[in-house]
Amino acid sequence: MSQSGVSLSGDCVSKFNELKLNKKIKYIIYKLTDDYKEIVIEEASEDGDWEAFREKLVSATQKNKAGKVGKGPRYAVYDFSYELASGEGTRSKITFIAWSPDDAGIQPKMIYASSKDALKRALNGLAAEFQANDEDDIEYQSVLAKVSKGLA
Amino acid sequence: MASQALNSSTQPTDVYGGDEVSAIILDPGYSSIRAGFAGEDAPKSFAPSDYGVTTEGTFLFGDDAIHDPNANLEIRNPMGKDGTVEDWDIATQLWEHAITSRLTNFKQADPRKNGLNDDLSDAVLEMETDGDKPLEEHPLLMTETAWNSTKNREKSIEVAMESWGCPAFWLARNSVLAAFGAGKATAMVIDVGASTASVVCVHDGLILKKSVQKSPLAGNWVSQQIRILFEKAEPKVNLVPHFMVAGKTAVDSGAPAQATVRNFKIPPTASFRALEEERIITEFKESVVQVWNGANGHLYQEISQGGYKNFDSLRSQPGRTYEMPDGSNQMWGAERYTVAEGMFVASNTNEQNAGPTLIDMIKASFNATDMDIRPHLLANVVVTGATTLMNGFVDRLNSEMTTMYPGVKVKIQAAGLTAERRFGSWMGGSVLGSLGTFHQMWISKAEYEEHGASIVEKRCK
Repeated sequence: MSQSGVSLSGDCVSKFNELKLNKKIKYIIYKLTDDYKEIVIEEASEDGDWEAFREKLVSATQKNKAGKVGKGPRYAVYDFSYELASGEGTRSKITFIAWSPDDAGIQPKMIYASSKDALKRALNGLAAEFQANDEDDIEYQSVLAKVSKGLA
Repeated sequence: MASQALNSSTQPTDVYGGDEVSAIILDPGYSSIRAGFAGEDAPKSFAPSDYGVTTEGTFLFGDDAIHDPNANLEIRNPMGKDGTVEDWDIATQLWEHAITSRLTNFKQADPRKNGLNDDLSDAVLEMETDGDKPLEEHPLLMTETAWNSTKNREKSIEVAMESWGCPAFWLARNSVLAAFGAGKATAMVIDVGASTASVVCVHDGLILKKSVQKSPLAGNWVSQQIRILFEKAEPKVNLVPHFMVAGKTAVDSGAPAQATVRNFKIPPTASFRALEEERIITEFKESVVQVWNGANGHLYQEISQGGYKNFDSLRSQPGRTYEMPDGSNQMWGAERYTVAEGMFVASNTNEQNAGPTLIDMIKASFNATDMDIRPHLLANVVVTGATTLMNGFVDRLNSEMTTMYPGVKVKIQAAGLTAERRFGSWMGGSVLGSLGTFHQMWISKAEYEEHGASIVEKRCK
């Protein structure tokens, strides 16, 4: 269990398994419900366009305690494929991204950070993982470098 | 300080998750105690860890009481040099005072009888004779340092449960809370407080025990350097605290002070004077002291012709004037850069080498972690603690770390708001404690009674 006691909704894991086994879904974005009790799926998509995915993270919002909507953190799983630079073919790595923009409020950031473990532990078969805190961190090139460890 | 505590207009009307538990977050440190309700933006109660002992042996707590020069107080501190508790009896009373004076028993009242103008010894007595346990309706979330001993952790839950009657308790590591507050579950947390500077690596919300590094080169040590600087200055700076000065006239820079000094029937104790001197030093630290930014190497980079490249170039820069309470004032030029330099670079010129420098600690902490997470740590450096608010501190840290780890992305996260930096761990605790889902994590009184104090070791990892 995570340190915040937040729980997962039932389809979080099953959708992930679908991504892992059927290879149709390219990414899943998870969010916390507005009452911060449960992690739910915000979106699962078969569209492999990284920029569209990135745009969705950047424009994510979350309500703070005063009810104001500000920038919001998210969790995401992306089935990331890349070509090896050595020409030995394509690799695909299921990557876990903890997106927490620096300019989001302290409250949502705190809750996402302390609840991350609950989700991550439930998902089996993650090949890579990183935290991203500003828009540069989720540029395609910087993610590629991180996930491929410089081999792409 | 009081303005921090009085800012109560922001009390949340809706609490996270809907479960109003009115939990109290207690974040005790070497220099101050932060306490307040979960869910609020800043701690309502901010009290000094220093307390006063009168000649009759009564204890006085809080800023309102301990700064009276006529009370003939002996000033003491229950915390040990590494920020963990040494004197539990006093610490318990002190923390209880911090909580009850502003949070649980605090009522707005007629200023003629709200207690602030009363004879303080009565207030203390009243508190002691109060039969009910003070926190029977409030779960308590306490913070602790990464190096807190098992004995101390068990003592904490004992105090909360037995002395204060808390219905539920939780102990959280302050470095983890600071990381969470910055939105990170994995981070390298650099915390520079009053008594201790520490570097702790946190991975997925758990501290990595081997990576815990601490050093006494922190705020109090910088104060010590300032004292030495005053001592060596030409002319020597006479540190006369505010309470000693009855009147003063303006004098030219560097000229001797023209002030009338107050006389006391019983002269205040040395420890009281030290406390008051510390306030001036703190002000000096905030307004004059500057950390060298680390461009072109450290401050005492030597050059072949002799002398120091950076230090000497600073001599031509304009300085800052600081006026002492007695009216004497002088210009501080390159010297204002010297006091904090020892936090970064071990000095071979004097007796400054009291412990490992920040740079040593970062290296040691980093090398004790697993290869795989190292890039994540460097990309997520969280800076917290009030001493990091010294001018130029973060710039210097950034420059040192980029030089140390070339080619790796180093990203330092330092909250821009001073309150967030000073109360970083408290605020993390405030959010955690206000979560509706957190109530299943608390150690309840029933569990404590069944398993005893050792349960804290099993649950609060």
